[in-house]
This record gives sequence, C-alpha cells and structure tokens, in this order.
Amino acid sequence: MIRIGIDVGGTFTDLVVAEGSAERGPAVFKVPSTPEDPSIGLVDGLEAVARARGMTLRDLVARVEVIVHGTTVTTNATLTRGGAKVGLLTTAGVRDALEMRRGIRERQYDNRYTNALPLVPRHLRLPIDGRLDHAGREIEPLALEAVEKAVSTLEDEGVEAIAICFMNAFANPAHEKSAAEIVRARLPSAYLSISTRVLPSIRFYDRVSTTVLNAYVGPVLRRYLDSLVGRLASLGFGGTLLIMQSSGGVVAPALATEKAAITLLSGPAAGPRAGAAYVEAHGLRSCVTVDMGGTSFDAALVENGEATTVTEGEIERYRLALPMLRIVTIGAGGGSIGWVDEGGLLRMGPKSAGARPGPACYGRGGVEPACTDADLLLGYLDPAFFAGGRMALDREAAVRAVSKIAGPLGMSVEEAAVGMARVIDHNMAQGVRAVTVERGHDPRELPLVVAGGAGPLHACAIATELELPLMVVPRESSTFCAAGMLMADLQHDLVRSTIAPLASLDRGELGKIVDDLVAEGRAILAEEKIPDDRVRLELQLDVRYVKQYHEVRVPASIGAVRAGDLAQVAAAFHAEHDRLFGYELSKQGTPLELINVRLKAMGLTDKLVLPSEPRGPSDPSSARKGKRRAWVSDAFAEVDVYDGHGLVHGALVQGPALVEQVNTTLFVAKGFRAVRDRLGSFLVVRASSEQSLGASVRELLS
Amino acid sequence: MTIDPILVSVLARAFRSITDEMSACLARTTRSPILCEAKDFVTGLYDAEGRMLEQTENLPILSFSLGPVCKHLAKTFAGDLHDGDVIFHNDVFSYGNQLNDVAVFKPIFFEGRLIAWAACKGHQADIGGAVQGGYNPNATECWQEGLRIPAVKVWEKGKLRRDVWDLIFSNIRLDIVQEDMRAEMGACVVGERRIKSLFAKYGADVLDAHKEHLFSATARMMEAEIRKIPDGVYRGEATVYFDGKHPGSRHQIRVEVRVEGPRVTFDYSRTDPQTTGFVNGTFTSSASATTLTFLQMVNPDIPHNEGLIGPLELIIPEGTILNASYPAATTFGNHLCPPNADALIRALAPAIPDRVTAGWNQLLCALTTGNDPRKGGAKYVDICFMGLKGGSGAMAGVDGYDHIGMIDASGGVLDQDYEMFEQQTPHRLVLHEYITDSAGPGRWRGGLGVRTVFEVGGDGTQVVTFGDGDVEPAFGLFGGGPGTLNKIELRYPDGRVYRTTSKDLVAGVPAGTLYVQEAGGGGGYGDPRERPRDKVREEVRAGLISQEAAARDYGLHGGDHAR
Repeated sequence: MIRIGIDVGGTFTDLVVAEGSAERGPAVFKVPSTPEDPSIGLVDGLEAVARARGMTLRDLVARVEVIVHGTTVTTNATLTRGGAKVGLLTTAGVRDALEMRRGIRERQYDNRYTNALPLVPRHLRLPIDGRLDHAGREIEPLALEAVEKAVSTLEDEGVEAIAICFMNAFANPAHEKSAAEIVRARLPSAYLSISTRVLPSIRFYDRVSTTVLNAYVGPVLRRYLDSLVGRLASLGFGGTLLIMQSSGGVVAPALATEKAAITLLSGPAAGPRAGAAYVEAHGLRSCVTVDMGGTSFDAALVENGEATTVTEGEIERYRLALPMLRIVTIGAGGGSIGWVDEGGLLRMGPKSAGARPGPACYGRGGVEPACTDADLLLGYLDPAFFAGGRMALDREAAVRAVSKIAGPLGMSVEEAAVGMARVIDHNMAQGVRAVTVERGHDPRELPLVVAGGAGPLHACAIATELELPLMVVPRESSTFCAAGMLMADLQHDLVRSTIAPLASLDRGELGKIVDDLVAEGRAILAEEKIPDDRVRLELQLDVRYVKQYHEVRVPASIGAVRAGDLAQVAAAFHAEHDRLFGYELSKQGTPLELINVRLKAMGLTDKLVLPSEPRGPSDPSSARKGKRRAWVSDAFAEVDVYDGHGLVHGALVQGPALVEQVNTTLFVAKGFRAVRDRLGSFLVVRASSEQSLGASVRELLS
Repeated sequence: MTIDPILVSVLARAFRSITDEMSACLARTTRSPILCEAKDFVTGLYDAEGRMLEQTENLPILSFSLGPVCKHLAKTFAGDLHDGDVIFHNDVFSYGNQLNDVAVFKPIFFEGRLIAWAACKGHQADIGGAVQGGYNPNATECWQEGLRIPAVKVWEKGKLRRDVWDLIFSNIRLDIVQEDMRAEMGACVVGERRIKSLFAKYGADVLDAHKEHLFSATARMMEAEIRKIPDGVYRGEATVYFDGKHPGSRHQIRVEVRVEGPRVTFDYSRTDPQTTGFVNGTFTSSASATTLTFLQMVNPDIPHNEGLIGPLELIIPEGTILNASYPAATTFGNHLCPPNADALIRALAPAIPDRVTAGWNQLLCALTTGNDPRKGGAKYVDICFMGLKGGSGAMAGVDGYDHIGMIDASGGVLDQDYEMFEQQTPHRLVLHEYITDSAGPGRWRGGLGVRTVFEVGGDGTQVVTFGDGDVEPAFGLFGGGPGTLNKIELRYPDGRVYRTTSKDLVAGVPAGTLYVQEAGGGGGYGDPRERPRDKVREEVRAGLISQEAAARDYGLHGGDHAR
C-alpha cells in the first residue's frame, strides 16, 4: 500500500512517497507547479512517481491508499483577490463592521496607507432586521421576508457565495439557521458560509471576517477539489484523499469544502510535525523548526511533539480566527534584497527578488543585491555547483549588485556581503526569538530543525546569535512539508462560547456542552471511518480573570469537567497566566470566568516511518571534494568542501566546512561539528555546548 | 570605539521588538476596555539619561511625553535610584499628559549601574477627583480633576511600599485600576529582562557607543526630510470652540513654523492665553501633538528614537492655552491636538502641498459610567471608541481613511468589539455605520464618518462628553470640500431630545435612552469635479454618496449614471 504526501507550492510540487514500512525509505519527487490548475501539476507528479517505478499511472493510482494534499489555492485566491463574489446577510446596523476592521490603520504615521479592500463590497452587504441580546435571547424576531428579498437581490447580482453573520449568534444560532434555510431553498447552488458553523464564538468582527473569508474561498476550493477528485477518480483512485489544514491536522475533502477557511494558512503547517519526527530520533520531544525559502522564513515552536495552536491570525489584513499553528513568518529568504536607508543603515528585505528575476547571480536580469548574492561572494555557494550544477551562478553580477551596498557604506564588497548576511541572520534570529523567548521559552534548551533551500547556510549564524546547542538539518530539507503531511492526523476543532463565572456556573449545562461537542466530534470521525481506538479527544477551556478581555487557553480533563470538577482548570489557568505574563492572582482570590469550550477531535493515522541508514565510519575524508575560499567568522580561509550525499551515518565533519547536496548547502561554521545521523539528517553541534546534549547525539559525536 | 554599522541596525530592531513585546503584554492582561480593547497606551525604552531608544505608540499623543518625564525622574532621583525601584507618575506640571494617563517607570541596572528605563503609560479608567472617569468640565484647578501623582516610588529596592500603594488607591474609585497598574508594571519587567540581556551580550560600552550612532543616523534622516521643505516662515491658526464654561467662547491656536535648512522651529508665541476651565494643554501634550503631526509629513519609516526629536525646536510659552500655568485644570489637554494639527497643516500646506492632508475629523467623545444590574450592580466605565472615530483628511493621490479617528491616534486606537461591548456594559448596540455624504468632497475625498446608536441599560448612568468638531467641520484643501460635524444626542424614553455640548456632564440618564453620535468625515483635497466618474458612481451605488450630493458636489448628473 502506497501513501503519498503532495505539497503544491508556488514554484514546485513536491511529492513524498512511502510504501508500507519501507526499509528503503520514502522517495522524493519534484515537478513544476501549474498555477492555472494545480491538479495538473499534481497528476504530473504522480506520473513521475509511476515512471520511476516502471508502472503506468493507473497502476500506481490503484495501489495508492492515501494521498495527503497541501494546497495553497485558497491562500492564493485571497492574496490575488481571485476569490468568489460574496453576498453578506448581517444584522441591520452593523453591515460596515467587516470593512471598518475596528478602525485600525496599521501604519499610523503613513497617510498614504489605505484601508484593506473589503472582500464584500457595501452594496452586497445586506442588513436584516432581527436581534438577539447578549445572552442569545430574542429581542426582535428575524425578518424572514427581508431575508427572502435579500436573497433575490444577491441572486440578481450573481453571487457565488452567501455569508451569514448575526449579532450574538454565538449564544444562539436560531436566527442564522432560519436564514440559512431560506438561502438553501432559494439559491441551492450558492456556497453557504454560516458564522455559527464556521466559528461559533464571541467577538463579532472576528466572526464576520472569518465567515466572509470562508465564503470568499469556499467556491474556489470546491471547484478545485471537485476537479481533483474527478481527475483521481477517472484514474481509478479508490483510496482516501485528505487535505491539510492551517492547524496542522488533515481533513476529508467534503469537510474542507464546508470550512474552506481552515486551509487558508496551511502552507507551512506540515513543517512542525516533520521537525518533531526528526528530533524524536534522538529522544527529544521539543524543538524549533525553521524553513528559509526564497522570500520568507517560517519559524515554529514544537512542544511535546506538537506546535502551539492559536486562533488569532490575519490574512490580507482580515482577521482569521480559526485554529492555526503559531508560525511566525518574516520576510527573509535567499531572495531578500539589501538596501541602505536614508540614515545610512543597512536593511535586508522584506522585498525579495523572488524566482524571477531572482538574485543578481542567477544571471536572469536581477540587479539588486540579494542574500544569495552575498552568500556567493562569501564563498558559501559554488558558482559551478548550484542546484547540483544545473545552474551556473554569475559572480560578477553579484559583485556589481553588492557594490550598491558597499559604496554608500564605504566598505569593500566583501565587507558589505558580510554585513548583509549578519543583518539577515539577525532578522531570522528575531523570528526564532518570537516563537521562543517571547513565549517564555529559552531557545538554548531547544534543538533547531533547519529546512528550506537557504536555511542550512545560515543555521550556524542563527545558532551563534541565540546560543543554540544543536541544529538538525534533515536530509530532504527542501521537501520537508510534503514529508510532514504523511505524519499528520485527522483533526476537527470545535468550539462553543458560554460566558459564566467559573465558581458558580451551571455544572450541568457545561457538562451538556461538553457532551454535545464530544458527540459531534465522534460523529464526524465516524463519517471518516476512524475506528474508536484511533479517536483522540482533547478538551480545552478559554478562561480569564473577571473583567479581563483576553483569555488564556488551558487543557482540561473531559471526565473531570463532566463531573463538575473545575479545580484543575483553575490551577492550570493561574500557572499559565503567570508563565505568559509574569503574574497571577490566585492569592488575591480574583474570580475566574469561562468564555469558550473547545474540543479537538482527532483521528490518528499511520505515520510515515523514517528509515534508518546503517552506521558507517566517522572519517568523512572519502567524501571530500576539495577546498574553497569562504568567510569564516572574521576572515576568509580555505575551507573543506564535502559531498553531502557521500557522507554516511556516523560521518563527522569539523567546522569550518561546507557540505554540498543537490538542493541545499550546509555551512558548518568554526567551532561547530556536523555528524550524520541514522535518518540522514546532519546534526550540527556547537563545540562549547556538547556536554548539554542528549546521549544519542553525544554517542554519535564520540 | 569603532562603530559597527551592522550592529547599529541590529540594535534598532532589537529595541523595537522589546517595546512591541511590552505592548502585547499590556494588551493581553489589562481589564479596562480603554486599555485592552482600544489600546490607549504606549510603551517605551529610554537610556539612563531619559533619551528615547524606541517606543510602541498605539496612541502617539501619550508617547512623546515619556521621554521628558524620564529625564525629569533621572534628575529628581539622581543618586537615589536602585535596582527594584518602580516609579508611578501622572503629574501634569512635571511633563505629564493628563491625570488619567498614569505612567510606570522602571530604572534598569546592569553591573551596578543605571543603564536604561522601561516605561508604560496608559489611560486609567479612573483617577479620583470630582467626576468618575476623570473628565470634569467644571474644574478650574487640577485638584478638582483627580489625584496628582508626582514621581513616587511605589516599589523600592524590590519591596512594595504598601503605605504608598494604599494612599494612591484609596483615592481612586475602581479596583481594576490597581490590576491595570500591575499590568503596566509587568510590561516594564518584561522590557527590563530583554534590555538586560542585550547589555549582557554586547557590553555597556559597545551598546552606549552604538546607541549614540543610532541617534545621529536618525537625526540625519530627519534633517534630510526637513531640507525637503523650502526654507521660509509659515503661519497657520485654528480655533478651539467652547472652554466648557462660557458658551460661544473661542480661543485661537497660532503657530509660526520657521524652516531653516535642516532645522525647524514651531513657535506658538501668538497663541491665546489659557482658559479658566479644563480646556488647557500641558507643555508635553502640546509638544507631542506638534511632533506627531509633523511626523506624518515626513518619511514614515524613520525609527523613533531621540535622534528624531533633535532637529525640532518648540516654543510654547507658559500661560497660553497650550501650556497652562500651575494650578490650572488641564484634563482636556490631549484633545487640543486636533486643532493644533489643523493650525500646522494650514501653515505648511502652501510649502509642501503633496505631503499634507486636508483637515481630519476632530475628536468628540463620550465616557459613560454606571452600574450593571446583570452583574450585581458592578460599576463600569466605557469610552465609546467606536463612536468617536471619524474620517481623516484626503491628500494628493489618496482618499482620506474612513473611520480612523482623531489625528493623535491615527488609527492606533480601536473600536470595542460589538459583542464584547454588550457583555461588558449593560447597553445594547443599535447601529454603527458609515454616514452617507460625510466625506468632504474632492478629487480625493475625505475619510467617512460614522453614526453610532446604542440603547442605554442599567442604572446610575452618567455621560460625560469631551471634544470638539461640533462647530467647524474638517476643512478641505486646494478645492476640496469640508467634512461634516460631530454631534451627540440623548433621546430620552419620554421623547425629549438633548443635544450635548462638546464638554458636558449629563447625569441620571435613564435606561431606554438612545445614545446617538455622529463622528464627521474628513476634508477633501482638490476639485471634486476631477474625481474619476466611475469612482463617484461606485460610491453612489454603495450608498456612501447620495445622488443629490453626487450632482451638487461632484457634478455627476442623471445621464452619467448610465453604466
């Protein structure tokens, strides 16, 4: 039985193929993406897999049990404003909330900064009379005839999707249900996005924005998945197709279509799980994962095998309040462009040379100095062996570009290149800091998993800046996310708002909410044919001190909450508040308040098994290719260059050294050592912190 | 010492990430919606002498006064500062903004030496005085407005001075103010931890030298921007209407802007004398207003540190409405920013027509206090942020920003979430929408204003209004038209309608009263007849411009509607 993870990116479609418990490990494929219809590139990728196995596409597809698919069609539709024409039915009086975005201007001193364009223009935001109070009690009945009339208007306007969001519906979905019935009856083809289905929790702007985003991308995802499912069916696919979500879990296509917004920030969401698997080989449960590509750098914290989930995201300046992994993305990549500001300070990014024209050294017409140009001038890249020798780099073009920095700063070109690398290294270190220090974690206790084409060149600099002891560079760092997809579980995030003092709330009522959520979660998983022994349910409560406006999420035992025992919840809340914000008020007796009840319903899947390589000698000299002049901490020096594919499990390389692989080059700085582990990852270790490492790493180094 | 220009860049970013983190901390932990929902606070880092390293300025009017207070503290407590000290301050006669704006300063020590300060300042829900919430239009002296806290050590060497704490908080009505001051302290502790680790990493000497370099690099950027303004003397003025005591009274703010090469002087010598009421500024609230308005006319990407301020000179004589003498009432001082900004814009518009906006909608605001019977009669304080935010002025090439609010916040202060508003107050929101025809017409139109209606619930309800913009609308520029006026009305259940003044106190507002507020639009820029027709038609269709206004202001006639 074959399982395939497919990550469709902007430039490449990556496939990772696993078969059974495969001794020989997953096979990796890369084909060009086809943005006009990404399912074409996906099938091209499957064909490449079939060819490599000497079988027909149909034969391959028939043997595939599971395809896990990460797609950016919803993300791209939003970024390029290519989503559906949407109509919004909302409570009379508040139809502008969506466009107002609570009145924020993100750049306060910039009078040329305009508001985000609304995803639904005003003439399609239709007010409906009918009102619930803050507790969900009806003050004024829903104006059914107004709904009828609004649906006619939207039909005439030719909308593809209708979003419904009413005031206080989180406390009572009745009005939204009635309106939805009318829409379904009158306009059955419209994609329907109902706030209490998408996000039944308090905060009107968060809910209306999320519900509209869902409507905006719903028809796009529906079209794409229909086309993909059809294409796969015509090839005889009888297995399960699963779609990656922003939360790091996967979900069946039908559910993804209903809650399309759960895929909006799914691009980097498979990375943290993959990172966890690579460090688990060394008995470690927590790590930081970073992925440095051409334009962006994604950082995430993994604790006890899982990344932190948050519900406060934004896309195109619109609030997306669905569960997603806490991934910090900053504009730092190989293509990041360096510039000197008016005060004479050197900056890097966020502007990127992208893939076209790309850095100056690509010789495709780029003239601005990019990070990759600096890397070339510092000797980290071999102009003749970029992308495994498929692409020659133009050193002269890089010199010309970096001169633009060197001139104004009165430095040599090489000094300028050093400066560019330092600034971008610092920016990336800040990204790592944002997911660790700023959340109360000491990065010096955590291994850093480094992925992405450009990541391994800069890993040691980040490690130096943050005093990290250990980095893990996975063998296939460029198809990291596709591998992560084969490690994801089915996941459904359910939420109910119920606002009450923790000490005096109606325990029976709370128990019933938990029962309802559990029943709903189990029903969805049953539909997905998950056997009972593979169901995992996790309850979380959002709690705050009375009068606070923001909650802290704490885990809770389903059994205890059902039994009315909330003592553990209170204790966990005080502790978490103290950890996050530096103080807690249990001694003051400040009462607590419950806001949301959340259930994560998971169906555990078979995970990709990473194969072990046999142990070889620690002497790496057979893989040595030669020497190259490269910048080493404070001067240029002749540095050993190794063929990374020739290094075996156990091979130990002393820094400074360069380890070249087809899609990425690892720079092992002075004071670091790199050793290849049984999974084919390079462990890069700071000499001064070796005693702090785990036994498994120490054994490899000895 | 040789300066490493790269390290300068690194430090500039590091400082900013620290003040941002302090800001996030405060937003997550405070109780008053004024702080956690609207973000009416600032955070900052200062060097040992009180010079600004960086600030996160949700409300810029508060931020440019932290530095002067910090310098004052450094002098006042010279030789008597210790690790573990925490100082509270709100005194308006030693560089404070407004008594409700209570600051926390934490001196930071490294290797036994004072190296920096972390500070926060936030608008507290109450500060004692005659009126809950702090706005007392009847005040004539500062003591009638609230509790004055000159620099006071509340923690000394890490030990809480319980007596001082009790003295302060027994003069403040609401318990949440204690919690929110604790949150300000927590944010300073977070800033302290981070800045100490920077010193540990780079060493004090290296850090100090590079900090000086950062200041001078920033000053050079600012000077380059000022050089872009033609040398000359530019004058502008604006009117403050109604001092809260004498209906129909008017007070002029007059500014003379002198540009000479890389330096600019803002001279307010000809501004009218202070009033007998609370409509008076303090030096720092007025200087903040000038600074933040001018910063919107230069490159918005200049880092915010001491270097920014060096090239600016301010002359604001004591005894004027912008710098009232002790012991004047001054609670309204921050809200003199909008007319001050108008005067500055009018002065500089002829010199830099492409870098100024038309007039912004001025602040008119209401603070509601009362008891919530749903919560056992608990007191609440709410500033109706969603209602006060009108439109900004348009500028060459860009329409005004809709529903952004007064220029002193520039979109940094947010609406309450509607559903949270109904949870945290006994009121019910009826309407919050853009107002048709509120935007000043123009080639580029002003930002739209909003109408807010809520039904008053609970008992003991008192409405205090403060602001302006109900006499003169936001002005247009270069052929653009004015925006609309501000207005607050109370529609009582018995049918009476009371239109408040701009500085009013209305007690005993019964449940069932409709609170109706209009925040006006911003001024337009350029001849509205040159506005692209399809844009006008689009806004007619959206209901943002009426057919009549499209014809009258934009010259769009019946036949033009054919699509």
